[in-house]
Amino acid sequence: MKGWLISHGHACARAIRRLLAHPTVTMLSVLVIGIAITLPLGLYVAFANVSAAASRVNTEPNVNVYLTLNATETEARELERKLKSLGSVAHVTFISREAALGEMRRIANMAELLASLETNPLPHAFSIRPNTSEPAALGALRKEISALPKVENIAMDFEWAQKLKRFATFAERIVLLLGVLLAVAVVFVTGNTIRLQILTQKDEIEVSQLIGATRRFIRRPFLYFGTFQGLLAGLVAVLAVMSFVWWAGAEVHALTASYGSDFALQAPTLLQSLSVVLVSALLGWFGAFLSVWMYLRRVSSR
Amino acid sequence: MISFSNTVKRYPNGFEALKGISLTIEEGEIVAVTGHSGAGKSTLLRLAAGIELASQGSVLVNNQNVSQLKEAGLAVMRRRLGLVFQDHKLLFDRNVFENVALPLSIAAFSRVETGKRVRAALDKVGLLSREKVDPITLSGGEQQRLCIARAIVNRPATLIADEPTGNLDHDYAETIIDLFKSFNQVGVTVLLASHDEIGLARLNCRRITLAQGKLTG
Repeated sequence: MKGWLISHGHACARAIRRLLAHPTVTMLSVLVIGIAITLPLGLYVAFANVSAAASRVNTEPNVNVYLTLNATETEARELERKLKSLGSVAHVTFISREAALGEMRRIANMAELLASLETNPLPHAFSIRPNTSEPAALGALRKEISALPKVENIAMDFEWAQKLKRFATFAERIVLLLGVLLAVAVVFVTGNTIRLQILTQKDEIEVSQLIGATRRFIRRPFLYFGTFQGLLAGLVAVLAVMSFVWWAGAEVHALTASYGSDFALQAPTLLQSLSVVLVSALLGWFGAFLSVWMYLRRVSSR
Repeated sequence: MISFSNTVKRYPNGFEALKGISLTIEEGEIVAVTGHSGAGKSTLLRLAAGIELASQGSVLVNNQNVSQLKEAGLAVMRRRLGLVFQDHKLLFDRNVFENVALPLSIAAFSRVETGKRVRAALDKVGLLSREKVDPITLSGGEQQRLCIARAIVNRPATLIADEPTGNLDHDYAETIIDLFKSFNQVGVTVLLASHDEIGLARLNCRRITLAQGKLTG
């Protein structure tokens, strides 16, 4: 156990020495890998923010039915009974024209406008919650309702929200695909850096093997090197995304506030940031492993 | 103990470097392999060190069949041998101390123990005062002694040396032959390949002669 720890200590120290021996090369490699990780991380953060915004929007189907202005309350109650009997309807709420007017008065800047009107311009209305979100069934429901007497207009204003949801799902898949592609790129970039390292150390590897080094011993410093490189690149990516969120956050907040929203850009959480650094380090380790494994297989002393 | 039994080494191009060699080197013995260039001396030593594997027959090192050892077993076996290479195989991006310390780093020795052993080995070959210099600045003889220091730093039971006095002048060659004699006197088995007749006469040991891959004496 002590020997194992000493061996790891030596390998770790050698990896750090190699990283520090050529600071410019190390910095450039770390930046290249860091940028490759920044891209999917940035998109993920953007996607998470869009998802958060989308989740505030009610995407449950809701149908608003407006009656003609001459429809009486008795006629409206008769219609309510018919609406409740429809197969696709889960719940019906009647909104009388007086209640609608009262609601509008509570909205800022509307009270004065409504006070200037001689008569109530709002019709009786129903808010219907269907028991399905299937577009075909909703289309059929719209047809059934429009055939009922005194129905003036039907609004199904949830469709855009559903489109937003579909877009979010699509964006999630794009981020995932990009993440996988760039993870492969990180493995190759790390592998290539390690391959160059191996070429400069090939005499040492040959001599070490001749005097009794196992492949594991040869591999170890390179694995530490790849891991450290990945770790640093992960930190670069997290810092880059956090800097962007900090830099653009105030502007985005000001923009959304002008639309009456309190939406604000969210930076990756501590757990997400740690996960990115960890995954990046693992990718670095894997790239190094592949590179050394291929080299040792090729130059096997046997 | 190193034992060859009907050992054949055939390369992929069909050339047979060793043709059915059978011989045994006992523990604590010092054996010199002689012969002209291309006789198969280096191949014999490389098989004994497990650097190459026999195509036919067997090579036993301390009763272990080298051909049957896996990668880790082969590495452990090599750690117990001290190898002196004809071309030294020194690392010129490391200083003298670090070159000698390499086998101890592989064997995971502590820093303190490494320091003690490296200095003891360098002292034995007369290079203690040069521990911080780059090997490239050493003379041929010093580089050879450095290679020997690296071979003995792990206190091996067997030393395998390929042309340890090759390209050295007479005085240096004598020093190195005396070093091998002194190792053998403390029980180290020595197998060396050489065509330095004067040096071998000074060594006064069992000689094996190879010619075209066969034992001739």
